[in-house]
Amino acid sequence: MPLPQPVAEELRRIVGRESVIDAPNDLRIFERDGSIEGAVPDAVVLASSTEHVSAVIKVAAKHRIPVVPRGAGTGLSGGAVTIRGGIALQVTRMRKILAIDPVAQTALVEPGVVNQELSLVAAQHGLFYAPDPSSQKACTIGGNAAENSGGPHCLYYGVTTNHVLGMEVVLADGSVHWVSGDAPDRVGLDLCGVLVGSEGTLCAITKIKVRLLRIPPSIATMLAAFPSIETASQAVSAVIGHGIVPAALEMMDSVTVGAVEAHYHAGYPTDAGAVLLVEVDGIAESTRELMAAIGKILGENQGYAIREAQTPAERELLWAGRKGAIGALGRIKPNYYLHDGVVPRSRLPQVLSAVGEIGEHYQLPVANVFHAGDGNLHPNILFDLRDRQVLHQVEAAGEEMLRAVVELGGALSGEHGIGLEKSAFMPWIYNPDDLGAMHRVKDVFDADGILNPGKIFPDPSRKSVHLAGRTGLAVEAKWW
Amino acid sequence: MTAPTVEKPASAEELARRLHEAAASKLAVAPVGGGKARGMGGVIERCDVLLHTTRLDRMIEHSQADMVVSVEAGITLEALQAELAKTGQFLPLDPFHSPGHTIGGLLATGWTGPLRLRYGSPRDFLIGIRVALPDGTLASGGGRVVKNVSGYDMMKLHYAALGSLGVIVAASFKVFPKPLHDVTVSSHGGWTDIDRALGAPVAPAALELFSDGGVLARYSGSPDAVDRVVTELGWRRVGGEVWDEHARRGPERWARITVARAELPKVMEALPPGAQWWASPGAGIAHWANTNDAGSIRVVRSAVEARGGTLVMLAAPDEFMREVGAWGAPPSTLEIQRRLKNAFDPDHVLNPGRFVI
Repeated sequence: MPLPQPVAEELRRIVGRESVIDAPNDLRIFERDGSIEGAVPDAVVLASSTEHVSAVIKVAAKHRIPVVPRGAGTGLSGGAVTIRGGIALQVTRMRKILAIDPVAQTALVEPGVVNQELSLVAAQHGLFYAPDPSSQKACTIGGNAAENSGGPHCLYYGVTTNHVLGMEVVLADGSVHWVSGDAPDRVGLDLCGVLVGSEGTLCAITKIKVRLLRIPPSIATMLAAFPSIETASQAVSAVIGHGIVPAALEMMDSVTVGAVEAHYHAGYPTDAGAVLLVEVDGIAESTRELMAAIGKILGENQGYAIREAQTPAERELLWAGRKGAIGALGRIKPNYYLHDGVVPRSRLPQVLSAVGEIGEHYQLPVANVFHAGDGNLHPNILFDLRDRQVLHQVEAAGEEMLRAVVELGGALSGEHGIGLEKSAFMPWIYNPDDLGAMHRVKDVFDADGILNPGKIFPDPSRKSVHLAGRTGLAVEAKWW
Repeated sequence: MTAPTVEKPASAEELARRLHEAAASKLAVAPVGGGKARGMGGVIERCDVLLHTTRLDRMIEHSQADMVVSVEAGITLEALQAELAKTGQFLPLDPFHSPGHTIGGLLATGWTGPLRLRYGSPRDFLIGIRVALPDGTLASGGGRVVKNVSGYDMMKLHYAALGSLGVIVAASFKVFPKPLHDVTVSSHGGWTDIDRALGAPVAPAALELFSDGGVLARYSGSPDAVDRVVTELGWRRVGGEVWDEHARRGPERWARITVARAELPKVMEALPPGAQWWASPGAGIAHWANTNDAGSIRVVRSAVEARGGTLVMLAAPDEFMREVGAWGAPPSTLEIQRRLKNAFDPDHVLNPGRFVI
């Protein structure tokens, strides 16, 4: 439904004529993010400044029109999907790194700065930005902050919220505020901590101050094969049980390894039931010693074909396989549904065997590639969208896998967010009082519910996820 | 003013009930844990009920393999550490004015210690929380997994909120393996030595500076790396018990200064000559002991606030506290914070006058 003409005019006056998109054909590319369900916005507004964001939200508030802040659109839970229509507020033009302070080891960035770009620029000062989602070549710092994104190296370094020092945010009334800042332990409530990970439902983010870390002088990366997921999981627990928390500890199952090896020729052992990728960093003495200890522990836990990257190029290749794993899976089926759940680490073998059984039951191939050290699993259900019936199966299988995660004491999402995808499942882990407390927060920040409505909280008006009706366009355009 | 009623509920449900009863009668409630931080914040305006958490002292579950622990809020830090130590694990929290802190108290106050430099604060490793609200509900957030973005981060809402929105009754933490190697060294080179330690390729787990120029540094991790850095620094090795001694500091009058770490040396220069203090320069935190001159507190506070920092009184006699004010300049988001207060504690029965909202 197009915006009323006077509203569209108001928006054009704010950002300029060419920065409001509302022609139906042009809107279609904003229909979705990296997740499975889409909805076409009524208008897309391309903001270039905090003033734009503030003024646009004021207009939206006045007319009670939904506003959904949007970065690169790589999110995997539908966080940027305008499910109730309204305005997609695109912030990717706000892509300046405003300051890097090498002494304080901080950076001040606009929300549209790409994650990897920040680390590349910071590297000139010997610094890096630690959270590294697999989409880091495209995803934005603003989106990372809104979703509290993770990544392989969060095992040691922590997730986005641990690295955000402060933010400039625009609230639902269009007012602009700074929350937190460089000094620790500020006076009053930790609004910044509450707003990080609020998925665009409490504020739009217009500047982010982040902590940068010194690039470790030495990095060592090791690959080990295991007969099975169970033995590999056991080895993960053994490493950590020895008092070693590596920088990253990633696992790939045999399906993934096969696809990755065929694509990247990274030397992954294709006969393995599972492969572990382990990385440690620090000074050379430390990485040498830790790698020796880890190699020994892996060997004692049925690890074989244990190999340490000998050159930076070899290390890059091992990581290219991991970070590009999802793409490589296209060799098996053209489409995937990437799930995200997290269990207590010791439950990994159980949950992965449940995931395998569910895949078999639905006759859907499942590839697992995930952050084993955190207990954060990512089952990928592989399918071919040309078979239109399969979507319901994919959806049902995904729901059962999440159910298994929750039944083993886990949580619905480790790093992708609840968004649209999982809002209906929130009552699985939170009772009405828990959700009621979260709702109080929502009501304080956005009483009229204009900011990213229909996300996080279960929506009684949506009985179930309707995939088929939304995907017709995508199928025709071969976007999947 | 009559003496407040003392309530010592034996379960979270009972505590929520007592809190609700008090709130329904608009009685002012002060939650109490170990009583180690009762001096923090403004002088409480009214107190009708002292709501102790000390009987909620159970270890709910410790999963060694998952490195996750869940406890009731009234358990002391020492009891928790003793339990974790049986499996070679620990919670990296070493607050001042120890021993005797309860976990709930530490979460409500946000007090930390030297290990903050390496491990961050509980803000970084608190993964689940359960809170009794004035309407009698018990609301949980987070979970028992180390990485979780399911819904709003309610841990951040209650952490260091000084019991203004609810009473923390249980919490889950990510815990850590005890380091393979743990060495403490000391020197007397003041800020020069601090810069040296912070500039070295191996970061200390803790690094403390004292007003007499003394420096304590703790290195943990792989033995080879620790030995290399300790050898390069050439400082004197001392026993690890100095940290317990250090953590016992908790003067009758003291203040906490926080500022961006690069600004800390300048801020500390604003302290009057002879001032007694200690600092975690890598974290941008300092503690100023025996603060009895309101004038110099005002001077330092304005110097700190001009640099975006804070000076918060952790304990002082009531009259002095009223004179200098506990918190300093209110946050710019005060109005939103008050709305959050109203949403959770509409009758302002929790700790009235003590927090900034």
